[in-house]
Amino acid sequence: MLQKIYKKGFLALAVTSALGLAPLAHADVVIGVAGPHTGANASFGEQYWRGASQAAEDINAAGGLNGEKIKLVKADDACEPKQAVAVANRLVDQDKAIGVVGHFCSSSTIPASEVYDEAGIIAMTPGSTNPQVTERGLSGMFRMCGRDDQQGIVAGDYIIDVLKAQKVVILHDKDTYGQGLADATKAQLNKRGVKEVLYEGLTRGEKDFNALVTKIRGAGADVVYFGGLHPEAGPLVRQMREQGLTATFISGDGIVTDEMVTTAGGPQYVKGTLMTFGADPRKIPDGQAVIEKFRANGFEPEGYTLYAYASLQALAAGFNGAGENDPAKAAEWLKANPVATVMGKKEWDSKGDLKVSDYVMYEWDEQGKYHQK
Amino acid sequence: MDGIFLQQLINGLTLGSVYGLIAIGYTMVYGIIGMINFAHGEVYMISAYLSAIALALLAFFGLESFPLLILGTLLFTVCVTGVYGWVIERIAYKPLRNSTRLAPLISAIGMSLILQNYVQISQGARQQGIPTLLDGSFRFAIGDGFVQLTYTKVFILVAAFAGMAALTYIIQRTRLGRMCRATQQDRKMASILGINTDRVISYVFVIGAAMAALAGVLITMNYGTFDFYAGFIIGIKAFTAAVLGGIGSLPGAMLGGIILGVAEAQFSGMVNTDYKDVFSFSLLVLILIFRPQGLLGRPQVAKV
Amino acid sequence: MSSSAIDIKKSLLDAVLAGLLALIVFGPIVGVVLSGYNFNLQFDRVGWLVGAVVIGRFCLSLFLQSPRGERMLYRFETAGSGVHVLPPDHKSRLLWIVPILIVLAVIFPFFASKYLLTVVILGLIYVLLGLGLNIVVGLAGLLDLGFVAFYAIGAYGLALGYQHLGLGFWSVLPLAALMAACAGMLLGFPVLRMHGDYLAIVTLGFGEIIRLVLNNWLSFTGGPNGMSVPSPTFLGLEFGRRAKDGGVPFHEFFGIAYNPNIKFLFIYVVLFLVVMLVLYIKHRLTRMPVGRAWEALREDEIACRSMGLNHVLVKLSAFMIGASTAGLAGVFFASYQGFVNPSSFTFFESALILAIVVLGGMGSTVGVVIAAFVLTVAPELLRSFADYRVLLFGVLMVLMMIWRPRGLIRISRSGFTPRKGVAP
Repeated sequence: MLQKIYKKGFLALAVTSALGLAPLAHADVVIGVAGPHTGANASFGEQYWRGASQAAEDINAAGGLNGEKIKLVKADDACEPKQAVAVANRLVDQDKAIGVVGHFCSSSTIPASEVYDEAGIIAMTPGSTNPQVTERGLSGMFRMCGRDDQQGIVAGDYIIDVLKAQKVVILHDKDTYGQGLADATKAQLNKRGVKEVLYEGLTRGEKDFNALVTKIRGAGADVVYFGGLHPEAGPLVRQMREQGLTATFISGDGIVTDEMVTTAGGPQYVKGTLMTFGADPRKIPDGQAVIEKFRANGFEPEGYTLYAYASLQALAAGFNGAGENDPAKAAEWLKANPVATVMGKKEWDSKGDLKVSDYVMYEWDEQGKYHQK
Repeated sequence: MDGIFLQQLINGLTLGSVYGLIAIGYTMVYGIIGMINFAHGEVYMISAYLSAIALALLAFFGLESFPLLILGTLLFTVCVTGVYGWVIERIAYKPLRNSTRLAPLISAIGMSLILQNYVQISQGARQQGIPTLLDGSFRFAIGDGFVQLTYTKVFILVAAFAGMAALTYIIQRTRLGRMCRATQQDRKMASILGINTDRVISYVFVIGAAMAALAGVLITMNYGTFDFYAGFIIGIKAFTAAVLGGIGSLPGAMLGGIILGVAEAQFSGMVNTDYKDVFSFSLLVLILIFRPQGLLGRPQVAKV
Repeated sequence: MSSSAIDIKKSLLDAVLAGLLALIVFGPIVGVVLSGYNFNLQFDRVGWLVGAVVIGRFCLSLFLQSPRGERMLYRFETAGSGVHVLPPDHKSRLLWIVPILIVLAVIFPFFASKYLLTVVILGLIYVLLGLGLNIVVGLAGLLDLGFVAFYAIGAYGLALGYQHLGLGFWSVLPLAALMAACAGMLLGFPVLRMHGDYLAIVTLGFGEIIRLVLNNWLSFTGGPNGMSVPSPTFLGLEFGRRAKDGGVPFHEFFGIAYNPNIKFLFIYVVLFLVVMLVLYIKHRLTRMPVGRAWEALREDEIACRSMGLNHVLVKLSAFMIGASTAGLAGVFFASYQGFVNPSSFTFFESALILAIVVLGGMGSTVGVVIAAFVLTVAPELLRSFADYRVLLFGVLMVLMMIWRPRGLIRISRSGFTPRKGVAP
């Protein structure tokens, strides 16, 4: 049985790429790709970098930004605000970036965006969903994803209308993203007259939630909502099932990755788990050709890969639309015009949020894949 | 006793026995050279990767039966992690043997950064995991509630206590253990009496790493998931457990681990998960105020 | 110490053994890459690593057999200890460096780019932190692993003071130092009777408790979302492009073009002055009775107590002065970043500050200044190594510790000539 689970290993003759630094050509414009390239969230950083790299390649092949080639710079913030500020200053000052795709953690995006605003450059975050990111009146801050409050409304309505749940437990990971999401869902539930039976936070990086699960069991929950990321969601759902708790598990876009199955110890545990996420970018016909390119390179474009791709596309469209590589004009253009991206047509309002958020509910099946419900 | 309380007790015991296993590494190293080995949590993390790799390789070669699989994985992980313990000591701590007390501490912090990033670079930043090995569980009805105990947890409890018993035997009854205790009591005197203290210190690192490896296999089996960052939190908790029980004392480390685990589980069950860690650290501070040498530690006798 | 002929056979044996170990160590982790429940084999990488280790070990072994290598080994095995006492009328030959450094610091901002400026500000903040911890660990010998708590108190003091009381940068600056000192006293009283390493874990716990409370107390501290921090003002003038609350921006008042660097320039100037002040105070303190008492207590507590030194008071004073310095640093950090949240105050931060103190040389002021810059600037310099950045930082820490286990600069003190007529 195990041999079946461990698929046949193969010899990969991977040639480790040399540590050579690409020579800096003169006519290049620099775009930063800022995110957690090291640290606990480095897998999201990798998705960003893969997505943006592919986008830069494609845009450069199609003529670049007003005739100039894009040169990407990797900016690592490790999801620490201190490093985010330092790296933002470096992007602005040292690399002379005119645009940034990033950051990932909202707690990094918020302080870094102040730096970008002072320098007058444009930033598009593929994944920071905290409302505060765009609520501070910065003219050059955009996002390619929805907001936690929109996501919370979808989740809250679903819990009441479809699941008809009475006893809801809300958990979060005490981080900007997770708690924001949990609070948004809680607000929607309370607005519609459902009071949660338990509202608690767990610690990121821990793996043992047995005590919490027992407590949830004691509360007699029939729905457990979790605001957080997959490293905690996986063990949490597994320990729920191991303790014989059958309540429905719902989370947000922080668990959108195949690693969710790995962290939960197998598809039998994630089966039936629900989550809110933008309409699957991999299902949108506009992106099929791009997705094939990723797969040809042996990388499944999951999670935020296509968001990063689309973010760079949008920035490029802004600069090309403005006719010159001026961040302020590109920002104005983006707020006035729709952009056709790999994820479909996107429009932004005056705050830099997407006009239409397309959060829908997904369900994981017993094969460990997710499907739109 | 109602079902919930009993379930929390079991949760706490499994968590605590794992803390205890890792705490042994801290307490032994501290006892013998008076150094806090901050890289020890990372040693556990390495062993988690090793156990998953061993499991994958064994399953790939067609090994199916659970006892053989787990035995092979344990053997491989304990051996290789032991070598890691030895190499780390040789590179980062041995050159600092005669230097200030804090120098190895900083070197250990550097080492833990190295290990974390070495694993991240070679294995990727992904979350890793192993499939469930032992499916199924016992279920006891108690009052109107029930207690559910997976086979994996039973296995963990048994294996952890077996490991601790074996270690106690080694330290109390064998020649190696006698050398360790002698070196711990007075390093200079021990070396005068013909004990190669440098080698004993190396052995201690290997034993500590081996216990961390046992914990690594058990934790990986139980939670099924780990990443290159997993050593940090559990390292801090295990260190707390070691101090709680009295650093330098072996039974203290086990007791400290179990007390910490049970206290955490009961507190988050009855009060609040948010403040679970605040509670465990406050507990530590309180115990240390009234018993500065920890629960089972020997009081420090100041020599003039 | 015989400088016999180089034994190649021994070196070869060393190299082969090292290679075997490297194979065991790197083989599984580097060679078998897990992905999901699957794995890839990448033995070529193992080959390169093992090859590098074998060659490296061989060269090292040869080097250590040469006369120079033997001298180095000898130095390792007999590391001296204690304080180095200089002759009574010793004048440091390096005294000319101080004015040069000050001049450099003054003219630096005229040439620096904003990025460089921010890196240097961060460096100076860590100098402050290092100086503070240096009093606690280096001088008084109290191992504090939760120093970041006081730093957090300073930073959140500014954010909360602004949010709830409307206080600004200037009024919080002294207040934060005071608050941190009080916190130091509160923590200090119960724990100071503990011995060395128990103190370490209790302070570690305290640091974590402060961080967790900041993170969990949503209504008061904003939880993980953090809080925004006002920019500092200069005589009521703001540095933003647009002034908030109807004030007049600095650049409009003086009729100059808006320049986002001005805020950082201002922080740099104030920070620099504060660092100089703290340096001076610390310099004087170490020569005052209380400073002498710290060091005496570090060397031998029992002897001190039997001579009638109030050890609690002495330790407490070290704790409080150290804490207040960290509080000051926190205020600067908060206004430099414009935003505070609990993830800036993790245990790793405490470890970094401790590394600064140990690396600089316990008790040595100049060493701490140098180490603070090395440890804050190094990760920025290493950015061009991308993924290998933190790995190299760790290697740097270990190597520096092995190279200079007593820190970059050994603490030394000028001696006194005994007066005539007094028995030596």
